[in-house]
Amino acid sequence: MDLIGTILWPLKWVVELLLVAFHWLFSNLGMGYNDGITWVLSIVGLVLVVRAALIPIFVKQIKSQRKMLEVAPQLKKIQDKYKGKKDQFSREAMSRETMELYKRTGTNPLASCLPLLLQMPIFFALFSVLNDAQRSNAGVGPLNQALATSFGNANLFGVAPLHDTFAQQWGLWTGGQDFNLSVMIIAATMVVLMTASQFITQLQIVSKNMSPETKASPMFKQQKIMLYLLPLVFAFSGVAFPLGVMFYWLTSNIWTMAQQFLVIRNMPTPGSEAAKAREERLARKGKLIATDGDVIVVDEAKKPAQRQQPVGKARAKKQTGPKK
Amino acid sequence: MKRAMITLYLIPRNVGVVLLRVYRAVISPLYGDVCRYYPSCSAYALGAVQEYGLIVGSFFAARRVLRCHPWAEGGIDDVPLKRHRRFGVTSFGFVVPLATERADPHVWTS
Repeated sequence: MDLIGTILWPLKWVVELLLVAFHWLFSNLGMGYNDGITWVLSIVGLVLVVRAALIPIFVKQIKSQRKMLEVAPQLKKIQDKYKGKKDQFSREAMSRETMELYKRTGTNPLASCLPLLLQMPIFFALFSVLNDAQRSNAGVGPLNQALATSFGNANLFGVAPLHDTFAQQWGLWTGGQDFNLSVMIIAATMVVLMTASQFITQLQIVSKNMSPETKASPMFKQQKIMLYLLPLVFAFSGVAFPLGVMFYWLTSNIWTMAQQFLVIRNMPTPGSEAAKAREERLARKGKLIATDGDVIVVDEAKKPAQRQQPVGKARAKKQTGPKK
Repeated sequence: MKRAMITLYLIPRNVGVVLLRVYRAVISPLYGDVCRYYPSCSAYALGAVQEYGLIVGSFFAARRVLRCHPWAEGGIDDVPLKRHRRFGVTSFGFVVPLATERADPHVWTS
């Protein structure tokens, strides 16, 4: 066994166990043992387990983001100090001071790249499990020969084998051989869906959940370019992956999108557009708590739905009295 | 002659510098600011490879990536600098032998 294979072995084992467990569950619930949809749902189940396992990391991040509100005044002070200074040295000094503040107050809002690094091997493990299943090879553990054959030959909607890739079918097509058009259509649809979900996720962050200071940084400009380059990356890599792996990716993307939406809505970055929107929302309900513990109420000029009836002096006095 | 030898000696770390610059330009922006430290892990790796060479620098960088997890305190964590700096760094990040007449090793550091 090669080095990478050895590293992936335990992960492949877990991935197979989850797949087989979900497959067992769904086929016992009355779904077809060899049906593509059963296997696709097993992949979706795998994603849910993996992403749910990553929730604690996410919750921790959210908690420190809540604490961020407490240090917001100090953060603002740093940002004001470097306001309008766009040169490299000032930016660097600003990042340094910000990071120091985070450490001092224990409010680091950043997640580190571990959640990403953790998911990558799982992704590769699934890829290699599917790749083996495609040749109907048994997996390293729970995925035995019979299950591997079933997985590899499972047809989605009865027409598109889960192990097929867009590129493979394209090769057959241009080679003048028999090819499976539905594989290409499904793969292309998924590339579009994946691009869309990733795009929305990024756009949500960029347009709503960034402080003006971050938006002014050169890093942000680079990120904005990537936002538009990403669909291309997806299209290229999406073409080469088997449908089964694409399902993992797509489900995971959708999870991220929903998670991001909830976070931006409920725990936005202080100073960002979303934070303002949240404050307004809360103030309208009289639930906004200031840092000193006071309830902030935003007076909103209510649009009169009806023309005010002219009233006599005596009645006007009554009306300004205590309301019920 | 000596300069050429040093340049040759610096090739591995400069290959590393190119790879890290490409990573930082193409892959880093994909997931944005996530690092709990300053400088970020890839910036740290770049600094470590420049300072200590490809092998020792990679070791430093690997240790840093392992240090950076959601339960780490984070904060400022610079590459420990050598006391005597023998080389200069161009604005791109390449490590180059110092011109002999230059006394200050930081002259090319941007």
